[in-house]
Amino acid sequence: MIATETFKPLVLAQAKARKVEPKLIVVKHPIGGLNADELRERIEAATKGLTEATAK
Amino acid sequence: MRIVNPAFGVSATSGEKVALKPVNWTTDAIALVSNSKPNARELLAGIREKLGATRKIDNIDFLSKNSASQPAPKDVIEEVAAKYRGALLAIAD
Amino acid sequence: MMKDITEQEVIDLPDMDVEAFNEFAVEQGWSDGMPLYVPTEAKVAKFVDTVRGDNRPIPPVPPRQVVPTLQSMAANAVMAGCKPEYFPVVTAALRAVLDPEYNLHGSLATTHSCAPVIMVSGPIRHQLGINCGSNCFGQGWRPNATIGRALGLMLLNIAGAKPGEMDRSTQGNPAKYTFCFGENEEENPWPPYHVQRGFAPTDNVVTVMSGEGPHNLNDHGSTTGEGLLTTFAGGMSNPGANTIYGKGPMLVIIGPEHAATLKRDGFTIETIREELFRRSRVHVSRISKANQETYTSTGHKPDGDWFSIGRSPQDIHITVAGGPGKHSAFIPSFGGTTVASVRIAG
Repeated sequence: MIATETFKPLVLAQAKARKVEPKLIVVKHPIGGLNADELRERIEAATKGLTEATAK
Repeated sequence: MRIVNPAFGVSATSGEKVALKPVNWTTDAIALVSNSKPNARELLAGIREKLGATRKIDNIDFLSKNSASQPAPKDVIEEVAAKYRGALLAIAD
Repeated sequence: MMKDITEQEVIDLPDMDVEAFNEFAVEQGWSDGMPLYVPTEAKVAKFVDTVRGDNRPIPPVPPRQVVPTLQSMAANAVMAGCKPEYFPVVTAALRAVLDPEYNLHGSLATTHSCAPVIMVSGPIRHQLGINCGSNCFGQGWRPNATIGRALGLMLLNIAGAKPGEMDRSTQGNPAKYTFCFGENEEENPWPPYHVQRGFAPTDNVVTVMSGEGPHNLNDHGSTTGEGLLTTFAGGMSNPGANTIYGKGPMLVIIGPEHAATLKRDGFTIETIREELFRRSRVHVSRISKANQETYTSTGHKPDGDWFSIGRSPQDIHITVAGGPGKHSAFIPSFGGTTVASVRIAG
């Protein structure tokens, strides 16, 4: 699950209400409104997070 | 003094944990699920492209909610459960 | 081990004055920022007595997914400053926002500014003294102020919509404190809203929509219904309201003087709705290219060079409220929601 750092508390609160423990990849906020160059950094971070999370 | 707790409620969520099947992220079919907010699809597409350096990606598919403001429709959830071993959700921004 | 107080329905506290209770409530996260009444067991019992016999179950309240008790619901109404006789309206309002189509989870977790708009119809408006006339969206009337506030507190405490955590609104909205008014049925030249929806005139009904604050529709100059609709449609053609996505309902609350002009010129609720739908649209020149692509890719395509603001005329919900003056109001919704009406028990 990819969430921005700003919205991490929302994901955790909702997960707690459902008694689940999400595997979370947190990237910088925001996603919307970024141009292609700005979005590239988020893609790099999310891919790195995914690779690390799934290697465990 | 005795007061009534305004936040009191009985949880409707089962305490049982869902058993997850193991996922091989280097080979298994993966669903990339967008919350339909701007750039969510582009973010997932960028990740898919990068994963292409280490695995085949023709079994990594895009799915999305009908609207950013609505929950994912039942048929999308069922499709994810039926066809994919793993799902990556672009969910909170 | 002592039980966590959040899991207790009744909490034993040392005797404290109202100021100390308010400090305690803030620490618990129970406050909307304004002073609260103390929800003692005795006060709560008086509220619960007003809904005895209404045994319909309350479904789990999202996002927190808990089923409240009548006592915990009443505790919020007490804290809000309601009188006991308001409580059936408050419980009906909670039932209404729990309509699955209302999308309570989405409307609370969204970055949009939406808050529950509560409209009361039927004889109970006068029994409780709900303001339907001048300044009906504003201050000065206890039921308007506290019924909306009670629902807001229930959404905070029971639903778990804590600002900055589960409630992610970018800027919020003063209506999150309260937005409750009565229809002005007496100056409505058409059937009242609840009758439009199939209820009996004598039924007491609560209607809710997850909406923005009221957008004023000022028209002092027009002397015809035709002229008024031109102004209304212009005000509703708003590229910054969530309804620009073309999904979801909206309220048009017509002031009595505007309503009288429209009625005199032969307009009905149906013809007003159709005219407003036909005329309320936004030219592509007022929408950025990137937004046009977003709307189109999510299924909301322009008709020629124009984006509509709804799916059909039925997305426009119309009634009359307010007092003398040449003003009406447009209240766009969150978008992914519905207008839900529930009969008040009793």
